[in-house]
Formats: sequence, structure tokens, C-alpha cells
Amino acid sequence: MGRQIVHRLLISFPALLGVLFLCFCLLQVVPADPAMIIAGPDAKAETIAAIRLELGLDRPIPVQFAEYIGRVARGDLGRSIISNKMVSEELALTIGPTVELMLGAMLIAVPLGLTLGTLAAVKRGTFVDRLIMAISVAGVSMPVFFIGLILIQYVGFKWGMLPFTGRTGPIWDGGLPSLILPAATLGAVLIGPIARLTRTAVLEVLGADYVRTARAKGLRETVVIVHHALRNALIPVVTLIGLQAAFLLGGAVVTETMFSWPGVGRLAVGAIVSSDFPTAQGAIMILAIAFLSINLLVDVLYVYLDPRVQRT
Amino acid sequence: MSVETLEPIATTDEPGVFARSGALRRLARDKVAVIATLALLTIGLAAIFAPWVAPYDPYLTDLTIVMQPPSAEHWFGTDNTGRDILSRIIFGTRNTLMLGLVGVIVGGALGGVLGILAAYYPRLDGWIMRLVDVMLAFPAILIGLAVAAIFGAGLAAVVIALVVATVPDVARVARGAAVGVMSQEFMEAGRAVGVSDRTLIWRYLTLNCISTIFVFLTLRFGQIILIGSALGFLGMGAQPPTAELGMMAAQGRDFLFMAPHIATIPSCAIFVIVLAANLLGDALRDVLDPRLQT
Repeated sequence: MGRQIVHRLLISFPALLGVLFLCFCLLQVVPADPAMIIAGPDAKAETIAAIRLELGLDRPIPVQFAEYIGRVARGDLGRSIISNKMVSEELALTIGPTVELMLGAMLIAVPLGLTLGTLAAVKRGTFVDRLIMAISVAGVSMPVFFIGLILIQYVGFKWGMLPFTGRTGPIWDGGLPSLILPAATLGAVLIGPIARLTRTAVLEVLGADYVRTARAKGLRETVVIVHHALRNALIPVVTLIGLQAAFLLGGAVVTETMFSWPGVGRLAVGAIVSSDFPTAQGAIMILAIAFLSINLLVDVLYVYLDPRVQRT
Repeated sequence: MSVETLEPIATTDEPGVFARSGALRRLARDKVAVIATLALLTIGLAAIFAPWVAPYDPYLTDLTIVMQPPSAEHWFGTDNTGRDILSRIIFGTRNTLMLGLVGVIVGGALGGVLGILAAYYPRLDGWIMRLVDVMLAFPAILIGLAVAAIFGAGLAAVVIALVVATVPDVARVARGAAVGVMSQEFMEAGRAVGVSDRTLIWRYLTLNCISTIFVFLTLRFGQIILIGSALGFLGMGAQPPTAELGMMAAQGRDFLFMAPHIATIPSCAIFVIVLAANLLGDALRDVLDPRLQT
């Protein structure tokens, strides 16, 4: 198990360096003259020269990169060109809403996916099974924004049931209604894959000896399915849920943009559209690091959950 | 070495996939697969022959007929500048499909080569697979955002993101398939009679892996289109007035309450394409390569 974790860490390190280098490129290499951009369109030549010296733009790229890593390690991501606020401060405000959105999506998708998948497995070959599988294929094929558009148009606008722009506040402070539609949109794309895999896993387990034993003991069918079958089917499902983090992060970017949800994804998209390189760099970095961390966590959790799957 | 002239035909225990008895016939008996194939063919042909199929000029604005709902003249209605949505969908599908195809073909080729080389040269294996792991560490949407931030938004940014998103998965699948082929006797036999590395890799190894890679790519195609259209929706892809389905949906969003069809019809089009691709991919996998089943 230790080896597995070390292996994962070793993979994460070059990936992290790659992320940092991309972000560095965004900040130092891409703009024709970062100093000019930071100074603004009508800055004097001396100001630009001073900024260039201050940023160390006259030094070789590897040195600049090393310095950049140093700054990032100290939490200094520069200032936004648009708002002139520290990028780290802007990011700090957006991380909470994004986490909230992703957790909300999971909370909707996981129970629904598990229920539908188990139901399909138990009713294998019947109309219910085929219906659930059809829904899940349709769900996998649906663009995130399609679901969002439909929810906004009907639930939000026509029926006026829930707010669909912005975030009114944290959940504990009356923010729940504004979270529901974005979380449902993001969660909807997860239901299909979870249901599909749960069905496969439960079907596999239903044929196992201990399930037959449980039935032979005369346990009620519900107890057999929930306690014996579903519990053992959970391992691959947990992995899948973890692996869907990529999907979820990507989907979160789209969902946040649609619902004007003040998260990291929306910040990144907005910054790219307005050429605010420092902010874009910071937001992309946070998203990438979040993704790396989730992956690492899932791998460790997986080994912990199922000691049989230890790879060498 | 004159082995080349012997034209050794490398085969596994199984004959070539498409030749395998009745694979196509079994596919033809699958009603869902047939419908999906027909749908994809129709959409593909319409996209290829867009200039001839589209009833109107997709860029021609007409401010006297803005935001009209679907009618006999404009089957899918008109958008906020009076452009015919059906025509824009046909041209947009062209761009969306092209993005997906380029992503899958280029990414598939690169990933396939990496995977096969990793299987053939054990010394490269570790390095290639580490590279693949690192690539897997970047979600596609994020790559798209980063590339668009660096080089500017555009179709090229999306293509790069889609290629990078395809390579690592394909490399893994290709390596898995190639490792299986490597253990076959004919590989050893080929090496024993002095067949060159190049021939071994291309004629023996690659030809025997290609069906697995192909099936995997059909399975991925739908996902790749979804990622591409999401990037388009975020404004990282095609720039107006170019029609691309994801971007069209994003533009229609501003008029969602006045004319919902402007946004929903392009979204629906993406859904139909991806659904057809997924259904066909599933059916192909069941017939050709059940090992890939999840």
C-alpha cells in the first residue's frame, strides 16, 4: 500500500510541474510584453522598464520559472489586470462555491445513480431495466449545458420555482435554493455512468455464493440486496465516482458559467475571455491542483477499500 | 534478409475482426445499431455536402425575420439576427464533427503508436506509461482553457485539447492489446527468422491491435464531441460568425426566454450525434471486442 501511494506521488509531481509551467507560460511568455500589460495601455516608458526589472523579465527563462515557483509556494499569484486585486484573494472567494457545487452535484447523483443501478440489476431483463439503461445512455450523451438550459427555461423561468442566476449565499444562510438548479445540472451527467456501473457490479455480486447463502437463510430480499449485494458492489462504484472528478470539474466550469455561479471555473473562463492572464493562470492552477489531489485521494482510498487490488 | 518477399501474414488465433464470421451480419441484426448507423450516415453526409444541402446561406442575416419559431419556410426557425437555424446547424455539425474526428484520429494515432512502442520495447515502457499518467492528470476542459488562454480561443485550441484528451486512454488500451499480441508465437517466429523490428511492429503487431483501438475510439468519439462542444459553449472554440453547435447554444442562451429554440435546437443536435455515436460504439464493441466491456 505504501508503494502504491509513493508511486502515485511520484506521478503527481511531474504533472504538478507541468501545470506550473503552463501557468508560467501564461503569465511570462505569452503576452508579448507582460510589463506593458501590467502597466496598462497608457503607462510611461519608465514605468514599464521599472516593472520589467521588478518582474525579472531580463533574466533567462529557467531562472524566471524557478522564481515563479517560489512565488507560487508563498501564495503570491500576482494581481488581476482587470480588478487590480490579488489573484489569491479572488481565488479564495471562489473555491468555496465550487466545492459546494460539486458536493451538491454528488449528493444528487450518487443516491439516484445507486438506486437506479440496483433497481435495474434486480429487475434484469424487464422493461424497468431497459428503461433505466436507456435513460442512462441518454444521460451520458447529453451535453451539460443542454440539461442546464432546460432546467433554467422551465423550472427557473416558466414555473418560477427556483433562482437560476448567481449564488445568494452559503447554504446555512438561505443559499440552498440557488444551489439546487446548478447542482442538479452538474449531477445529472453523473447519474448515467453511476447507474450503469452499479448495475454491472450488483449483477456480478448477485451470482455470488454468499448471496445464495443469505437467501437460503431465508433473509428478506431487501436485506439481501441492500446489505449483501449492494455493499460489495460499492467498491468499483466508489472508484468510478472518484474518477468522475475530471468530468465533474470540467462540467463545473460549464455549469458555473451558465448559472453565473461565482466559482473558480467561471473566474477562469471570464479571465481568459478578458485576457486577464494573472487571474487565468491562478484559476487554472487551482483547478489542476484540485484535480490532481482528488485523483491521488481516490487511488489511496481504493487501495484502502480493497486490499486485493494492490498492484505491484 | 529476404524475409520481406515471403510476405508473412501475421494472425492471432482469431481471424481478422471484420472477417470474423458474421460480425457485420450480427451488427445488422441489432436494430438500435442500424438506426444509429443510419442516423450518423445521414448527419455525416449532410455535413459533408453542407453547401448543397443547406436551404439558406448560414451567414445571411435578415433583420425582418429575427427569432422566428420553426415554420414551413424555416424548419428550425431563425436566430436573433434572422439567420436560418437549420442551415447553421448543418454547417455547425460540419465543424463539430470535424473537431471530433480530428481529435479522435490524431489522438488515436499518437496514442496507438505510443502504446504499441511501449509494448514492443520494454525499455521505453516505463517512460511512455509515466508520460501517459502525467497526461491523464489533466482534464480535457482544463487543457482547452489553458491552450485557449495561451494561443487564443479558436478551433485550433479545441483540437489540441481533444487530441491531448484522447492520447493517454488510447495509449493504455493499445498497450494492453499489444502486450497480448507480443506473447503470441508468431511474434517469436517472426523474430527467429530475422524479420526487422519495423516489419514486426507494423505488419505483425499494429495490424493485430488495430481493431481494439478502432472499437475503443468509436466508444470515445461521443465523449470527445461532448468535450469539444462544451469548449465551444464556453467561447474557447469557434468564434462568431462561424457556426459550431456548442457556440450556437451559448449564443442562443441570451435569448432563452424570448426564443428558446435558438439554444435548444443546437443542443439537441449535439445530443442526437453523441447518442448515435455512443449506441453504435456499444454495439460495435459487443460484436467486435467484448473484452473492452466495462
